[in-house]
Amino acid sequence: MIRRGAQMSLSLAAIAFAAVSGLAEAGGITISTAAGDKIITLEALKERYERPDAIPFPNNNPYTEDKEKLGKKLFFDPRLSRSQIVSCATCHNPSLGWSDGLPKGVGHGMEPLERRSPPVLNLAWALSLMWDGRAHSLEQQALMPITAPQEMNMTMDDVVDRLRMVPGYRELFSEAFGETDSINAKNIVAALATYERTLVSHKAPFDLWVEGDEDAISAEAKRGFVTFNTKARCSACHAGWRFTDDSFHNIGLETDDVGRGKFTPPSVAIMKYAFKTPSLRDLRMQGPYMHDGSMADLDEVLEHYVKGGRKSPNLSPEMRPVKLSKTEQSDLIAFLETLRGPSVKPQLPDLP
Amino acid sequence: MDQIRRVIIALAAVLVWALVPNAVQAEEHELVITHMEIAETNIRPKVGDTVKFINQADIAHNLYLTYEDGTVQNLDTQFPGMSKTAKIERSGKVVVRCWIHPVIRMEFDAADAD
Repeated sequence: MIRRGAQMSLSLAAIAFAAVSGLAEAGGITISTAAGDKIITLEALKERYERPDAIPFPNNNPYTEDKEKLGKKLFFDPRLSRSQIVSCATCHNPSLGWSDGLPKGVGHGMEPLERRSPPVLNLAWALSLMWDGRAHSLEQQALMPITAPQEMNMTMDDVVDRLRMVPGYRELFSEAFGETDSINAKNIVAALATYERTLVSHKAPFDLWVEGDEDAISAEAKRGFVTFNTKARCSACHAGWRFTDDSFHNIGLETDDVGRGKFTPPSVAIMKYAFKTPSLRDLRMQGPYMHDGSMADLDEVLEHYVKGGRKSPNLSPEMRPVKLSKTEQSDLIAFLETLRGPSVKPQLPDLP
Repeated sequence: MDQIRRVIIALAAVLVWALVPNAVQAEEHELVITHMEIAETNIRPKVGDTVKFINQADIAHNLYLTYEDGTVQNLDTQFPGMSKTAKIERSGKVVVRCWIHPVIRMEFDAADAD
């Protein structure tokens, strides 16, 4: 919902000038819509990025402390993989922004995977998971890498058998699920999903600014926020407090990977080579970026968006060339840096 | 002669419309897309009616309708300001979603044609 500010009497040109020159607080911000340009206040724009108060847990897998404790152990336990050397945390390493810092993940037998390992923060709110959105819940998602032959290469039956042989797990599962024989596939993924839902970004300087602390971020970052939402149109996809619309866009990369297109009818051209919008919170500023890790740094990423991506019939309509000055680009990077809060670093669990 | 023929055809058309009970005119129902949501409404179209989706968001959408039997009706890419129209093909629950934005979801019931 677009809110009109009290400054509607100001001329559009004056307001647009105010926005791009960092004086948005004094006027309003011009947003393009189908019905024409609309003006909203900076405060109204900030409200779009307010953090939620609580983590949502689904009714069919409610939170319990015991489930979280068990899920954490499972997340860091390499015995969930065939080789017994790969855990969830191998590719989603808290010390590397809950990813692995590599352009593409490494799977079973040290074979390279097709895509970059996405960070796993703030997934409690995610509507679709995996780069191609093929999982609709964290419970469903948790099963996929464990059983994918090229990743952890297990069957859930094998995982269950292995965990049953580990002294200590039987008790942990009993505490979490209240049954005597509760080591099963459903409970394994329920515990993993519960733990993953607790992985939430800490407040970043940007959040403090949204809450009213004007000194929390620099003038460059504030200008970057306005550019992000107006001229650069980053917010067309990187929307909301997680800076993702949980949606799928072909951003014009050179790739043979059809992405979301594998799960949509062939007639839906716009989904071919489309991938899920990644969150920009707690971005590892040192890269790599994109679903295939094909871009090494943020300058390269911005240059890609300035050019508008490779033209094709499948290109997202949101991808349009945009002229951004060097100052505007550095403002955008300054803004992105304010989305980084203190690292979410758990105390590593003792495994049974 | 042409004028007489035209008048006869027009009269015949009016007669058919008036006398045939099932020749009910299809209705058009409108739904507005605002950013990532379809404005709430209580439409109950009948088979043969049309539903017009008006994109008032500042982003593109690609809506599709799924009928109870699994049939999918794709409305193709809809740029900001653009309208797309779907002719209702089957009765029962119809789910509307967007290929691009999975968060978009609405349902309505379609009635049989009169």
